[in-house]
Amino acid sequence: MYSAAIIGAGQSAYTRRPAPGQSTHTFIRDAVVAALRDAEIDARDVHGMAVASFSLAPDTAVDLAWKLGLSLRWLLQDTNGGSSAMNMLGHALRGVDSGAADVILVIGGDATGLAGYGKIAANYNIATRDHLAPLGHGGPNGVYALVASRQMKKYGLAKSDYGHIAIAQRAWAAKNPFAVYRTPLTMEEYLAAPMVADPLSRYDCVPVVAGAQAIVIAHPDRAPRGRPPVRVRAHRASFNYDNQAGDGLQTGISTFASDLWQRAGVAPRDVDVASIYDDYPSMALAQLDDLGFIPDHDLARFCRRDIGEQRRPINTWGGMLSAGQPGGPAGGLNAISEAVLQLQGRAGERQVANARLAVATGYGMTMYRYGGTAAATILERGE
Amino acid sequence: MSTGVTIFRCKGCGAALFPQRLLCPSCHGTAFDEAQVHEGVVEEIAVIRHMIGQENWQPRRIANVRTTGGPMLTVGLRDEAAEGALIELFQEEGALFGQAKSA
Repeated sequence: MYSAAIIGAGQSAYTRRPAPGQSTHTFIRDAVVAALRDAEIDARDVHGMAVASFSLAPDTAVDLAWKLGLSLRWLLQDTNGGSSAMNMLGHALRGVDSGAADVILVIGGDATGLAGYGKIAANYNIATRDHLAPLGHGGPNGVYALVASRQMKKYGLAKSDYGHIAIAQRAWAAKNPFAVYRTPLTMEEYLAAPMVADPLSRYDCVPVVAGAQAIVIAHPDRAPRGRPPVRVRAHRASFNYDNQAGDGLQTGISTFASDLWQRAGVAPRDVDVASIYDDYPSMALAQLDDLGFIPDHDLARFCRRDIGEQRRPINTWGGMLSAGQPGGPAGGLNAISEAVLQLQGRAGERQVANARLAVATGYGMTMYRYGGTAAATILERGE
Repeated sequence: MSTGVTIFRCKGCGAALFPQRLLCPSCHGTAFDEAQVHEGVVEEIAVIRHMIGQENWQPRRIANVRTTGGPMLTVGLRDEAAEGALIELFQEEGALFGQAKSA
């Protein structure tokens, strides 16, 4: 257990089409203001900041600190995409625990626009730029279309099994005023949606939005009066777990899951709320399986029963698939901030009764054939 | 266009790699030989029907290919080769492609 805790969370509006004058920086500002207000922390008391963004350049973290008027003694800029949020959380917890800073802001945000996102996707790394983009691979959609095909064959999944995830998350999104897609989705609509990269259709591919998220890390006694801080029982991460030599159907979570649960002193059955990084349903399933949530590794049964029958609260803000992905870093932070709201009993219409324990994950950095980074954390409502 | 694709084989342990690495992930050796791989079996195919930020996009097919004695590769398909098909591989600069093997 870390002595530091999460004491506040805030986000900007999410939008598919930023208005003139809106930028990555303005979305981040809005999230920072919301998070500090939520945590009841004065900006002058913030002495640490971590940020991840695909579209902050040419600014760096210190430029952002300058523009936010923050004078810091602890600073981090993270580049791990979908697991950036989780990575920054781990560093920030240790930063507070070590006394490097009393209050640390953790920020993610992007406003790339669709054209900007296309350029990022084609130049994600050297392997992508040189060996995938010239094929017209479609960015991550193409890569995860191949992974999804492998997963369907290996586990006997039908297309509709992925549909259960998209539909369940859309039902949660209907209760989240920040989600960009809130209209209920039927299986008929899911199955009739146009293909994007076979076998992935429209509702299997995370929608790119503009927006930002921020959370505040500090000692629990800094939490607003009358509100429980959110403590972190365990946190683990993995980077380049198999040198891209496998099939991508396991994630780096598989390397640390047992250690994570042992460290936390709880088991998957104890979890009330799960926030699983969901740029594609296939990868949400892979992470859930790695974490030990899927009995007998029967992914099809889990989709049809546990998700289709709404037996498990997973991605209760709608996930990125319905709420939108404001870049991987902020998308990952949304997973954490939703867990925080649930554990503090502040999730409004989507509140899960008596939520005391949550798991949140991050996954990302598509290196060549699948993602190479993953992380997970076990969160609990503090006293 | 050249016939076959270039992969990298560790001089220390023989591990076959693509793309090239700085150190061998198996033995952390520093030296590699270039080798040619000429064919592979299509394991999965994706049809890219939409490209973000692109209008008038024409669908393209990419595939995951298991090479004989080499690494798994992601290639563009230049024909209607199906899953399970043996394809011949070729390379245009860094990009790898494949098409059904001639009879």
